[in-house]
Amino acid sequence: MLQPELLRLLIQTDSVDTDILAVPVLQVDTRPKESNLEKLSRVCGDDGIDETSSPLTFMPQQIRLNKDHEMFEDGDIHRHLYLQDVATTTPEVSETPTVSAFRCHIAGCSQLFDTLEGYEHHYSALHRHVCSGCRRSFPSDRLLDIHILEWHDSFFQIMAEKQSMYQCLVEGCDLKFKTSKERRNHLIKTHRYPPDFRFDRSKKTKSRTESKAPQKSEGSMEVSVATLPAVSGPDAGESMEFCASGETERDSQSGAGPVQEEQPKPRYSHKVPHTICFGQGSTRGFRGRRKRK
Amino acid sequence: MKDEFYPYRKCIKFIKIIVFVRNKVGMWRLSVVRHKARSDKSHLEEFKFKRREQERVLRQARRDKQLVSKRLMQEDDEEDDDDGAMDTAADVLSKEQVTELFRRVQHSGEERVNHLRTLRKALRSPDTQLIFIKLENSMQALVGLLSGSNAHCQLEAAHCLFLLSHSPNPATGLACLPATPYLLTYLCGQSDKFTALCLYTLGNLCAESEAVREKLLAQGIVPALTSCLQRHNLAVVEAAGFTLSQLLQTKDAAANIVPPVLASGLTLHLLAGLQPAPDYGMGAAIECAWCLHYLVCSTADSETLSALGAVSKCSSLLITLGGAVASGNTEEGVELLVWPLLRALGNLLSGCRSEGLQGQLRDSRLLPALCVLAQAFLKPHPALARESLWVLNNLTAGPSVFCSAVLFLNLVPALIQLLPFSKGINCMVLQVLGNVAYLGKEYCTQLSRAGLLPALCATLKMADPEVVTLSLEVLAMMLTHSSEVAEEFTKLMGLPLLEAIQYNSQGEMRLRASYILDHYLTAHSQLKVDTPAL
Repeated sequence: MLQPELLRLLIQTDSVDTDILAVPVLQVDTRPKESNLEKLSRVCGDDGIDETSSPLTFMPQQIRLNKDHEMFEDGDIHRHLYLQDVATTTPEVSETPTVSAFRCHIAGCSQLFDTLEGYEHHYSALHRHVCSGCRRSFPSDRLLDIHILEWHDSFFQIMAEKQSMYQCLVEGCDLKFKTSKERRNHLIKTHRYPPDFRFDRSKKTKSRTESKAPQKSEGSMEVSVATLPAVSGPDAGESMEFCASGETERDSQSGAGPVQEEQPKPRYSHKVPHTICFGQGSTRGFRGRRKRK
Repeated sequence: MKDEFYPYRKCIKFIKIIVFVRNKVGMWRLSVVRHKARSDKSHLEEFKFKRREQERVLRQARRDKQLVSKRLMQEDDEEDDDDGAMDTAADVLSKEQVTELFRRVQHSGEERVNHLRTLRKALRSPDTQLIFIKLENSMQALVGLLSGSNAHCQLEAAHCLFLLSHSPNPATGLACLPATPYLLTYLCGQSDKFTALCLYTLGNLCAESEAVREKLLAQGIVPALTSCLQRHNLAVVEAAGFTLSQLLQTKDAAANIVPPVLASGLTLHLLAGLQPAPDYGMGAAIECAWCLHYLVCSTADSETLSALGAVSKCSSLLITLGGAVASGNTEEGVELLVWPLLRALGNLLSGCRSEGLQGQLRDSRLLPALCVLAQAFLKPHPALARESLWVLNNLTAGPSVFCSAVLFLNLVPALIQLLPFSKGINCMVLQVLGNVAYLGKEYCTQLSRAGLLPALCATLKMADPEVVTLSLEVLAMMLTHSSEVAEEFTKLMGLPLLEAIQYNSQGEMRLRASYILDHYLTAHSQLKVDTPAL
């Protein structure tokens, strides 16, 4: 029943001025309006027994409907049928191209992939937000920035003594704290974070030799991931080797013991060698080979 | 310092662009993965039955104010063994099997990922989900893997959590809560798929209870969603929109959620999601539009939303969609976008002062677009037709320029065509026509020129008292302003109709009919003498 005329209005608009101001406004003449309000009250009041009062009460009115209005029922049901009806994917995701298997090109990693997506996830998780100082990897920009500031900025400690410098880890929260302990309390209290949030770390760890943390973090990760003693075998060995920068190993041996094992630890990439960011081709190659199993 | 491999990433992106060839250009289509049953003809009856049942449950839930849904994502990388996996989900693993599987998952090593993958498949069954969450340490282990440094395990763990979040059993959803700080942290990550997965998990968890939502708000879900809505990947925008809509449609939204959302500046990004271009994913636009609808419903402050351009965004997208519908460039699913847009616009119009709107409603094509939508969806979705007429009512009840535009653009015949239809459609049309007639002589003359009187004669015969009452109101306004109308109405044999109404049991109708006969049609009514009022 669609009218061609409507279609013309909507589609062939090049020649026509669609501005509402181009519409000639007819003269408004609402003479009866003034009396209408009175009528309304009168009619409502005495059920129209008064012969002279008009029962006609029409007034233009804009109607506001609330979320649970019955008029919205069908649309809501339709929406929820759609939501429950399986799945959503934009066209690009539905067709996953397979490519010939390739390895992660980052030296020292060399993990094998056969889809770009798998690689993309791997890259984002491990290589995107990496601190070039200590090779730790972080899940977001913000966490990396905070890490760099707190771990590698020499001014930070000095500044921190004078003013609050420890930023909250939660995106969108701009509060700063005097100590990392205060920050942790804030995270737990205000943001309801768990006390062992992995991307937080204690001030102690930081103010001592930086390199201690990775060792401990590895420990705590194993603790949280697997409680069985049998576990640690290959994985722990592997990661120890991976995280291996000279310092780290030295420190770990010198007993960075599980002092604070249950404490939250930074995450870092244990697959990327320490020195890579200086662009020395030879270093890449050497480290890379060593990592490969 | 952060990302030395940016150029390389660029390269990968470029490859992607080349690989994905776009669908037919210019077509508004919603790409959803259909239920198997839908494509399978033999199961059509069964599917229809299921659907009716599902609809019944949903309607009941809405009456109980419990209307929430969880969403499932397509498991993309399992195509090859999808069927098998679906079947195995049917025969549930025993408690021992699940325990054994979990024990294996706890062992680190090469095989861990594969065990996790097996676990993920097993977790499709609600029974297995219950067994799993009751295992000692199971959730800590899963969260540990999610936050761990093995990317593969992380992804599989996220999939497991997603399946758990989709469970109809509230206990399962609650068991996932320790994962939320990590899920939220990962929203700021760069992997689009992983972000979307985290978003859907959070969206499903949102539906659980008020306590969960409170916790997520404290953990910063609103700023996280704001940043996700700004991502370029439409799947992420869609997922973020879904999660936000889950938050916004809850009972406690108006008090707890809407204020921080409005304060966060997120609305601007929602509006950016409403792109009037067909090749901009419709899925994302749908979610953004629903969020906007919930926002408009739960805030009294339409002015602010309108100042951000909400009115002009909605109306320009509706114009585009109206054009697409009129020229047949749509497929099933476009109504999912039209619906929330109409609602947002309708309520915004009723909440704004008309001066504020003038600047935003400059395109007169909105009116024909609303008529086109009402006509096109009349059969498949009468409720949608009614809602577009509701928007038209809110427009024409405003500044007189819109009523003039109804006449100038000759929309009255299109409206008249809608008068025979029930379910509130004819009432809405009469309301619109009343708005026009109310403005006086010139408007009424044009209305009668457009052929309204014969149509009113038809509606006066209808059984619905509301329709008849409204018709009488419109008729009276037309009679007031023009004597020619009275003549024409008499010629159309309108008088006997009014006289018949005088004997109706409904007082409202009787009164109006008598009044009209007494005051406007005295000269024309020869029979009047015989019919006493009341």
